[in-house]
Amino acid sequence: MDQSWEVVQEGLFYYPLDAGQVPALLANRCTHCGKTFFPKRNLCPHCFEEGVLEDICLSHRGIIYACTVVHIPSPVGIKAPYAYGYVEIPQNQIRIFALFTGADPFTFTPGQEVGLVVEPIRENQNGQEIIGYKFKPISSGH
Amino acid sequence: MPDLNFSLSPVGEDKRKDHGIFTGATVRNVYVIGVGMTQFGKHLNRSLRALGFEACLNALRDAGVRPKEIEAGYCGNALAPSLQGETGVGQNVFWEVGINGIPIVNTENACASGSTALREGWMAVAGGFHDMAIVAGVEKTVMPKGTMLNVGGAEMETQLGDVFPGYFALIARKHMERYGTTREQLAKVSVKNHFNGTLNPYAQFQKPLTVEEVLNSMMIADPLTLYSCCPNSDGAAALILCTREKAKKVRPRAVRIAASVLTTGTYENQRDITGWEVEQRAARKAYEMASLGPGDLEVVEVHDAFTISEIIHYEGLGLCPPGEGGRLIGEGATDLNGRIPVNPSGGLLSKGHPVGASGVAQVVEIIWQLRGEAGKRQIRNARVGLAQIMGGNKEGDTRACTVHILIKD
Repeated sequence: MDQSWEVVQEGLFYYPLDAGQVPALLANRCTHCGKTFFPKRNLCPHCFEEGVLEDICLSHRGIIYACTVVHIPSPVGIKAPYAYGYVEIPQNQIRIFALFTGADPFTFTPGQEVGLVVEPIRENQNGQEIIGYKFKPISSGH
Repeated sequence: MPDLNFSLSPVGEDKRKDHGIFTGATVRNVYVIGVGMTQFGKHLNRSLRALGFEACLNALRDAGVRPKEIEAGYCGNALAPSLQGETGVGQNVFWEVGINGIPIVNTENACASGSTALREGWMAVAGGFHDMAIVAGVEKTVMPKGTMLNVGGAEMETQLGDVFPGYFALIARKHMERYGTTREQLAKVSVKNHFNGTLNPYAQFQKPLTVEEVLNSMMIADPLTLYSCCPNSDGAAALILCTREKAKKVRPRAVRIAASVLTTGTYENQRDITGWEVEQRAARKAYEMASLGPGDLEVVEVHDAFTISEIIHYEGLGLCPPGEGGRLIGEGATDLNGRIPVNPSGGLLSKGHPVGASGVAQVVEIIWQLRGEAGKRQIRNARVGLAQIMGGNKEGDTRACTVHILIKD
């Protein structure tokens, strides 16, 4: 049976989510040097074969490091204007590229707290929904 | 200057005369004896090989060299396999000018494809494998209206919606946030380069722009407007390289390659995005190879794909301390008549950016400047020049960066 959706890239996050399951980005971490990698790597570039990579889920909370608003439609089919940037995940000491959602694209600012969502980001030529990950504002104290 | 660490290696004058000493290895000096390029712009009815033919023929004529004297060929091209369905562009182009039989290598390193070809050619001559080589860069990226360039499609970031101007907008906003760089300073890069372009008959754009026109042009990715971004272009450029011995017959016009460096990004995840370590490292190594520092430069060509890029390259190359690139453009230091002119050719912003050709064309401009053949945009008595270009985004870092230093002895 044809699926009505496709993930943007295999192995980035759990999808579809079971009822009550929290969205999470799938990463791995070198047990030797402690570095975290997203997307997952097959080998730690620092420790080579002395390192063992263990699977982890990244914390779903991050802080915006840098952001912009793109005013032209993206070649992969995202409508303008849309916001994106880099999100730092303090708990995992990693920075990841991400689209922003859940607010006016012009309102995102560096230092802002954001939380992970997994949802459609665009459609492909066959009308299938492409599922990706994004970050949305979260009010502090949540 | 503070925060800079461009150490000079002690190299004896006597040894430098005939040999360059590079990181312990002794190699031969390499000279550029011929240059050529096409006008950059829209060449809808001309093929890659027609553009390459013109550039290579001009370079051969300029050097006074016949095709059969060339011992190896290196050709940079980035997008022909995806845009024109053409591979092996080097063999196609070089045969147009009658070069066959010899080793020919095609190089792809995104925007640094052409400069990577130059480094390959330099290594071959410096290393003693060939006495004379041709280097070319050829590209056609002007597409029918409405066609999207499909570049970087294998990257996760691209699939999520990242676009080139957006990536540079993130960098610009961080630079503004940290150092107080202004939108006006960013716009001034484009104004300067478009003015220089009006003095260069090879430039795609021949119209000056004002700060207001740059700021008020269509917003692409905040803070970068349309005139803050380089255009898609068609064009080709070529160089003839040879040994000191072979250069003797054209000695007054020969320009020495004093440094040729290629670096790759480290993809450090939490790096400071207001500078490119890959470029700072390339610059340090190049200054060391050439036994000089940024203060010795008299003309510079940098990879101004976006206005913010040029400002960060000032800092990466040590033309000013980190964070002061905005002030450097603001005070006019990099104007044609400034302390250190940058992008006298008009840069990518005005001259155009045929991806694989740009790195070679930068060196063509430096050589015209050092020979005193740059016409209305001539910088007086320039003797030492530098060309920097880098290409390809990977994990928020840059794949490849080259720095070349050229000296008219």
